[in-house]
This record gives sequence, C-alpha cells and structure tokens, in this order.
Amino acid sequence: MSVNPIRLEIFKNLFHSVAEEMGAALRRSAFSPNIKERRDYSCAVFSGAGEVLAMGDHMPVHLGSMPMSVSAALDALTLGPGDVALLNDPYAGGTHLPDLTMVMPVYAGRSSRPMFYIASRAHHADIGGAHAGSMGLSREIYEEGLRVPPVKILEGGRIVRDIMSMILANVRTPREREGDLTAQIASCRTGERRLMGMVKKYGRRELTTYGKHLLDYSAKMMASTIYAIPDGVYRATDFLDDDGVTGEPQRIDVAIRIQGRSVVVDFSGSAPQCSGSVNAVAAITQSAVFYVFRCLLDEDVPATSGLMRSIRVIAPLGTIVNARPPAAVAGGNVETSQRIVDTLLRALARAIPSRIPAASQGTMNNLSLGGIDLRRGGAPFAYYETIGGGAGGGPGRKGASATQSHMTNTLNTPTEVLEHAYPVRVLRYSLRSGSGGHAKFSGGGGIVREIEMLADVQVGILSDRRKLQPYGLSGGNPGLTGKNEIILTGRARPLPSKCTFYAPAGTVIRIETPGGGGWGRAQRKRKKKSGK
Amino acid sequence: MRIAFDTGGTFTDCVYLRDGRIEILKVPSTPQHPAEAIGNALDQIFASGAADSPLDLVCGTTVGTNALLERRGGRVALVTTSGFEDVLEIGRQARPRLYDLLFEKPEPLVPRARRFGLRERLDYSGGVLTAPSRSEIDRIVRAVIRSGAESAAVCLLFSFIDPSHEKAIAGALAKAGLHVSASYEILPEYREFERTSTTVVNAYLVPVMSDYLSQIERIASASSDPGRMRDGGVRVMHPNGGVLSSRVAAREPVRTILSGPAGGVLGAQYVSQVAGFDRIITLDMGGTSTDVSLMESGISGSLATTSESIVSGVPVSVPMLDIHTVGAGGGSLARFDRAGALRVGPESAGADPGPICYGRGTSPTVTDANLVLGRLPGSGLLGGSFALDARRARQYMNRARGPMRSIEEFAQGIVDVANAVMEKAVRVISVERGHDPREYTLVAFGGAGALHACELAAALEIPCVLVPCFPGALSALGILRADVTKDLSRTVRLDVRNPVQWRENLQTAFSALEREGHSQMRGEGFSDEAIRINRALDMRYSGQSYDLVVPYTSDIIAAFHVAHERRYGYSDRARSTEVVNIRARFTGRTAKPALSKWKVGGQNPKEAAVSKSIVIFAGRRFTANIYDRSMLGAGNRIAGPGVVTEYSATTFIPPGWTGRVDPYGNLIVELP
Repeated sequence: MSVNPIRLEIFKNLFHSVAEEMGAALRRSAFSPNIKERRDYSCAVFSGAGEVLAMGDHMPVHLGSMPMSVSAALDALTLGPGDVALLNDPYAGGTHLPDLTMVMPVYAGRSSRPMFYIASRAHHADIGGAHAGSMGLSREIYEEGLRVPPVKILEGGRIVRDIMSMILANVRTPREREGDLTAQIASCRTGERRLMGMVKKYGRRELTTYGKHLLDYSAKMMASTIYAIPDGVYRATDFLDDDGVTGEPQRIDVAIRIQGRSVVVDFSGSAPQCSGSVNAVAAITQSAVFYVFRCLLDEDVPATSGLMRSIRVIAPLGTIVNARPPAAVAGGNVETSQRIVDTLLRALARAIPSRIPAASQGTMNNLSLGGIDLRRGGAPFAYYETIGGGAGGGPGRKGASATQSHMTNTLNTPTEVLEHAYPVRVLRYSLRSGSGGHAKFSGGGGIVREIEMLADVQVGILSDRRKLQPYGLSGGNPGLTGKNEIILTGRARPLPSKCTFYAPAGTVIRIETPGGGGWGRAQRKRKKKSGK
Repeated sequence: MRIAFDTGGTFTDCVYLRDGRIEILKVPSTPQHPAEAIGNALDQIFASGAADSPLDLVCGTTVGTNALLERRGGRVALVTTSGFEDVLEIGRQARPRLYDLLFEKPEPLVPRARRFGLRERLDYSGGVLTAPSRSEIDRIVRAVIRSGAESAAVCLLFSFIDPSHEKAIAGALAKAGLHVSASYEILPEYREFERTSTTVVNAYLVPVMSDYLSQIERIASASSDPGRMRDGGVRVMHPNGGVLSSRVAAREPVRTILSGPAGGVLGAQYVSQVAGFDRIITLDMGGTSTDVSLMESGISGSLATTSESIVSGVPVSVPMLDIHTVGAGGGSLARFDRAGALRVGPESAGADPGPICYGRGTSPTVTDANLVLGRLPGSGLLGGSFALDARRARQYMNRARGPMRSIEEFAQGIVDVANAVMEKAVRVISVERGHDPREYTLVAFGGAGALHACELAAALEIPCVLVPCFPGALSALGILRADVTKDLSRTVRLDVRNPVQWRENLQTAFSALEREGHSQMRGEGFSDEAIRINRALDMRYSGQSYDLVVPYTSDIIAAFHVAHERRYGYSDRARSTEVVNIRARFTGRTAKPALSKWKVGGQNPKEAAVSKSIVIFAGRRFTANIYDRSMLGAGNRIAGPGVVTEYSATTFIPPGWTGRVDPYGNLIVELP
C-alpha cells in the first residue's frame, strides 16, 4: 500500500498529541516536586510489536530506553485488558531504580492481542535503599533501593494492593509515592482513552498501517542524515572523573563507523564496570546514542523506533557502558549518559565540525536530601534535584548559561516551593561568572547554589567534571570544572564529586556547576566603539 | 460616544454605534505610530458627522505584545532578594528545544548590570529573617538611579505572603522619581521566577504604553471638542476579557498583552449568545496563525482563563483568556520534507511576497490551495478590489506538487494538513482540558476561519458551525461590548482540614480582597452596588503542585473532587485538600450595543447567487453557487457545496452541509 503523505502527517500529529496529553495528566496530578515542578518524566506510545510510535518532548535519557521497558514487561507478563505492568529493574527494562515505569496494553475491540502499548516513566524522589533519595554512593544495586522486576500494579483495572503495599513499605515517603503512582496510572488511562477514540474514528487497519509508515518515515529521515556525513571512522575518548570509590578516571571510548546510510557505534575499549554507581546499563547507552543522532536531524521528525534502524550499537557486556548485576547503576543514568554524549559529539566533531558544539557541563549535579521534618510532626521527607550549568559554545553562537544539557531537561524547583515543602533554605542561586570557556564563541556559565539545612539531613551528591574540564573545540578554551563544598560554622571545606554523609542542621552545601567549553580561537579584543 | 478599535498588522478595525446601528470602518494600520491610524479613523467619523462627545475610546492593542516581540521596551532595573539577582536569567533551567545542539536562550529583559540584590529575607511562612535597613534601602536606590533605569521592577522572595519589605523599597524608589512595578501588586502568587518575569515585563512596557496612551489621548482631544473629552476616556482591552482605564493600563501594561485576540473571543461569545449557542469553540484564522479558545458557557459569561502564558519566550503569568495559537494560517507555506511528508507552516509567506496567487510569491500556501479547489472567489478578495491569479497559482503548484498525481490532489492535501494542525490545537484546549468537542459549536472568523471550519468540525465531530455576521470585525465588536473588569488574587495556602477555621479564614481573606477591588473599581467610576463579583479558589490535594479553579461555593471540597475527577479521571476523597490562591473578578457593566435584525428573505437565496464556480471536494468536482453575503436575507437556506463571499472573509459550505441565515445575519452551517 502506498503512503499518502497527508495521512502520514496527520497521524504523526495525532500520536504525538496522545503522548503529550499523557504527560500533561501526569504533571498536573502528581504529588512530588520532582514530577510536578521539575517534570522528570516521559510518556510514549508503542505499536503492538513494542516499537515506539510517538514520544512526548520530555526527557531524552528516558526516550531511547523506553522500548526496553515494554519488551521486558512483555517477556515477563501476559498483560490483559485493564492490566498495567510496573518495573524499575535496570537489568530488566529499567534504567536506574528511582525511575518507575508503567506499561499498559491497549486492546481494541474483541482482538486477543493488544493493538498498542503505552508507557509512562517518572523519577520518584525515593525508592528506598541505604540512602535517602536513592541516589547515593553505592557498590551494589542492593544498596540503591527496592528492585522491582516487571509486576502487575493494576489487574483488570484494579490496583493490586499486595504489590502496592510491598512498595510503600520499602520507601521513605509512602504517601507521596502512592500519589505519584496514582498519577502515573491516570496518565496511562488518558493515553488509553485517546487511542481508543482514534481506533473508533480511523479503524484498526488504517492506524496499524500508518503506525508502520511512521516508523519507515523516521528511518528514512535518519538514513538520509547519516548519508550526509562523510564515510569514515571517527574516534574519541573522554573520561568520568572517578567512580566515587577508587578515585580513578573512568574511560569511555567510541569509534563511529559511517558507511553510506548506516552507522556502527562501537564502545569497545571503554572501562570495565566500576566499583561505584556510575555504571550504565545497555538501555542508557542506547539512549545516549539515540539522543545524539536525533539531534543531527535538521527536521522536526517524530521520535519513533524507526530512527534506530540504521544505527548499530556495540557495547561489550561487563563494561561501564553495559554493566551486569550486581553493579550499582544510579549514576549511570545521570552522569555516564552525559559523558557518553560528550564522547560521541567529540568523535562527530571530526566528521562534521560545523554542526557540533564544544562540551556542555557534562553532569547533572544530582543532589538528594532526606530526613525528618520536625515542622510537620516528624514526617519523613526525601528530595531530589539536578542543577543546570554551562552549555558548550558552538559554530556561530555562544553557549547558553545556567541550563540543563543533553540527556536531561528538567526544571528547577522554585525556592518558594522548596522551602515550603522541606526544611531547607536557599541562600544563593546565581550565575557563576567567568566559568564558561573563553573562545570566539564562549561556553555558557554554570550556577552557584547554596542550600542551608534546617534539620539534620542525609545528603547525597552525585556529580562529575570536578577534576576534568569540559572540552573546548576548534581552539576554544575548556569550561571551568565544578566544585562542591560544605560550610559548617563559617568554614568551607571541599567535598568530593560523589559522596553521601549526614549533615547537622545549620550546614550549608555549596555547589558550583561547570561551565561549557568554548568553540573557536578567541580573537584579540578590538577597541570598544564609542557610544552604545 | 463609545468607539472600539482593534489595531491589526494590516488594518485597524473600528466599530461604533450610529443611531443605534453598529457601524464598521476599516483604515490602514500605521505600524510605526499605531495611534495615527486611530486618529485617521476618528477624522473620518467626525467628517461624516456621526460623532458626538464626550468620546469614550476602547482599544485592543498589540503595542505591548509587539514591544515585547521586538524587544523595544524601556530601560529597567530589577531589585531582588540578595542572592537571587540571577533568577530572571536562570529561569527554570530548562532549554527551549530538546534536540537542538545549537539552541539559544532568549536574553533576559534586564541585564546583570541592572539587577540589584537587597539584603532582606522572609521565610516560607512570612517570618522576618532579615529586615532591610534604612541604609541598605538607600544604597539600592542610589545604585538603581546610577544605572540610568527609567523604570524599576521589585520582586522579593515570599512577598506574596508579606509585602512589607517590597513596599519599603518600592516606596523609596518611587520617591526617587522612578516608575515602580512591585510584584505584590502585579502578581501576588508563589513561584518566584514567573512572578519576577511578569513584574519585569510590566516595568519593561510602562514607558512604551504611556507613550502610546498619551498619543491617543492627544489625538482624541484634538479631534473632539477639547473640553468634552471625558476624564480617563481612553480604555484598553484586557486579555481576560474586560477593559482597563488608561490610568491602570499605563501603570500595569502587562495586563494588555494579547488583548487583540481577546476581543475576538468576546465578540464570538456575544454573537453566539444572540444566535442561541452557549458552549463554543472559537476559530480565528488569519494570515500567519490561528487562535482557538473554548467557552464553557456563554450565558454565565465564564471564559476559560490561563495564568501560564509565554509570550516571545517570556513567561507572563497574569490571567488571560485561554487562547491557543498555532502557526497555520492562509499564508502558511507547504512543502515536502526529505522523507516525503507534506508539511504546512509554521513558516509563512507573510504579506511579502504573499501567496502565489497574490502575484509575487512562488511557494504554495494554504490560500493558493483554497483557490485551486474553487473555494475562493475567482473575482478576488475585498469585494473584488484585490485580484487573485489562479493561473499563476496552478503553474507554480504544478512544479511543487512532488509525488501528488494532480494539482488538485496536492491542494486538497495542503488543506487537510493545515486542518490537522488546527485539529491538534483544538484538542489542546478541549480534550486535554476534559471537554468533549461534540458538545460545542465552532465559531469561525478571521479572513480564513470559515473556509476551513466545516472540514475541521467534521474531523472533531463538532455538529455545527457558526459564521458571525461581521467575521472581519468581530474583535472590534467584542471590544465595544466589553465590561470593565479587574482580577485580583492572593496566595493563601490554607489546609482544608478544620472546616470551621478554613471557612473563617477564607471569609477574612476574601473580605480583604473585596475591599481592595471595590476601591479600584470606584477609581474606574463604578459604585459598589454596580459591581458584580465572581469568587473562585485555586485548589489541589495537599502536596500537588498544579491547581484547579473551583468556584467559591458552600461545598468547595466536593466541587474540587468533581473537578479533579473530570480533569484527570480520578479523585481521592480520603486525601486532604488545600486552597492555594483565592481569586475575585470584579465586573462593572458598561452599556451594550446590540446586533440589529437582518433583512428578511425567503428560503431560496437565489438573489444572492452572483456566480458559479467549480469546487473540488474529496477528489470530486462539483458546480457550486457563489453567494454575496450582503445580499442574503434572514431565513435563506444554502445547500452545499456553496461559497459565501463578503468584504473580508469567505465561507465554504461543503457538499452535504446546509447553511441558514439567522435573524441577525449569522450563518449557521450544519451537517444534517
């Protein structure tokens, strides 16, 4: 059947609006600031074969890895009408434990097989384990929180109380978790309702056919983008500062082999999986590759599974880019994913220098806080945030300051929300001037953030680019490294890039995030013209 | 005498009453000095002898919006809590485009050198941690003055709970001769970035808006008897659907942003009420974009408002009618992308070069597609004074049609894709907000709205389309009829646990708000008795972050559960709820000109059928009558396919649809 270009555009819009509507429902009915204010979530629509048909414009680090959640759920469970699967196991379709993913089948009519699947993933502020916020420094996944293999959280439309109670008993803030999980269910139902409406209107055949066409369409777009890159092998290496345990830099190696309309991205040569928590599972590495190539498309192309058809990823098992159990992985999702992107871009800069910016801050500066809130009768709390930094300068434009880069795009929590919700006080939230790499097109500057604890708090910091600077390109200077400090009774002391500790009330945590690298050699300053 | 103006990009529409009848005048806009066109229109009205004093002018204006788009506002200084000087520039930390390696962030309206931190601090409950000292305030005032700012914005943390620190610094700055916008006055709600941004936009627009308003006042008093220009006789349309006095507009210009489209929605609301439809979706399709909005019930006058608008990359959180804009209009360009999909917009041919059929453009647009499909009169637009070149359109479209078998198939495709973009927009304001479009009537206006309305309605299963009698001047009509309104809000954050206590607390909070509202409305010339007050609450489950607006009634908790269920498909009656903000809208009714009855005709519209055209619909050719709208009579029935032309708009009635002219000259099109 030939493709009608008009129907194609129409179905592209329809599927995309389903994913966006799911996101809106989740955000507006969720309970934790991390979901409702920071929007750390993603929603997507899948074909009956588990291929992505549409994703909301949410979190890049989620989007490439969601298909694995769907296939893991399908491998483990038979999902009937009204069933919803829940999972977070990084070794079975997940990414890191705080990301809880729901997968729901959408049955149309009397068919015995689902016509679509929908998935909704949200980062929960705590999923138990040794550290409040579940993002602390660990050596094994067992320390990182509750590991949920694919299980049914909803069966025939009803919540499975056993599973729900089991989860709530293992987390620090059960009421908030329950509210957020309910919001995720509402988001799935919203998607189901919309898809059923589309089936009624356009019919099963038409929808299935155009689902396939959408996949082909994205694949074709990606193939032609790869074709425009000169054939060849482009290599690069970059490092994470350390794994938080050994202090040794962790190597990421990549060789990008472009041949005609397809590409092989080979991570052989990367470091073996490490003792700390910056191990990425295969889904993360896949996501990072997906993100980088998605950025090369110059058109507004639907983010479907078709985009990955001409891309093959080689990530040897047991390395930092494809860890196996029981490695700890909390930081793989947030830190290693950023470094994989930096490495891929550095390699691509050799092939298409006019399209690639210098390194951005290359970290998410994860900060988690947890403890007891005496203002609220001793209720436990857990809070998680990431902090923006400098973006890399690029050909023709300077880097943006104080912004999230690459694999994340979460918002901040307003100070007026944060202080109302948790026993902390923000003392300073400002630009870190002079931190961007000086260049013809300088890198953007980072952020300085100081938070005072008003209660005894367990603090977790997971950050990088504290030792090794974000690189510049084409003669631009690198960005400044970031800095973590603890200020207690007026004395500032440095903190390592990755650490977990107890801080008494009155402690101030100060985080300075890295600047972006600069692009192009800086020219000598000309004399200022008079006037404006 | 009341005269309404709607300043558009090409024309300034002007609507007024003459001997009880609504009159319309269109004059060319003067984009460099928008007030000039208003002067020209006034001259014409005076010359025709229609005017009488005192004059009462109401303007829908894009002056504020355009100044923001073009970054032509004033030189602003910003005072924040010390340590938070950069909140304006950091924003919410997110980048605007997800998959763009070379993205840019809009420059902040106030650069670092003019942002000043005041040493003061409140905690989350309003408790004073550091009070600003006298010398600290003096230091900041000196610094602001040295910066050369002409206007100042003040936004301190938690000032929505206790504004005393803000009042102190704002007072000192005002005493030093600066115009000051303080966040506790502009937007006393939590979330410091959005509040700062809105306050800064206000300060940024103050100089521009003052200039504009004083120009209009000068022009108006010059053209009328100078002694009889009423005090405060110039009013400005408010994007929430009311009007503001020029005094308030000059002080709080942020409230005038996007006021033009609001006029259209009000006009649509009025006309649909007259025609007997109370739930409507408006479709205002112009040259480069389309505005859509939804009205729950026109009779009670409840218009959907939003406080989450972003204008030109800048958050503006004052309540506005919830109007959603998409980049699909008559001038939107069509093209095939690299993988062969047909795309329409958001790029537009604009006024120059314009669509192919206007004579200069060479890329196909939605207008060209409509012409090829026979849906635009071959005789041209604006009553035939603007010719359309169909041969030229076919010639260039043939070159650009890609894999499509014929020009006609290509043209139908362009129309279908443009409709799909608009359908998505309508879904955002209806389905995404929990409203079923099947229960609504689509009100189509703007130059191209009625060309697409029936097909769009079919896609959304909307049963009925209303094309108002003045589709080209509906905004000005809405502005003419607008009431004087004032929206006040306050963050209260009340836990709704103890029923006695929260009732009392709410009552106290509302009383304070009402005292403030009454005093402001007295300034607009309304006595307390002449004011209608609508009270509402922003509510949520304790712990959520997004609120739902619930009317203030005796059982607000039940009302909230119902609203939550409707919007998100679930409610949890066991969970405690919270009142975040209280809101009150104060409305002072103005005199309302009414639509007059249209001349009556029989069922058969044959007198208005001026010519014939070949219309293409769903791949088939039909012979259709072309009707001149001004010659139609009330009671006429038109069977599709048909094309109805008028001075500034065209309506397409597809095969299978039937139109009828109601007693007021509105065209009602239905699929029987």
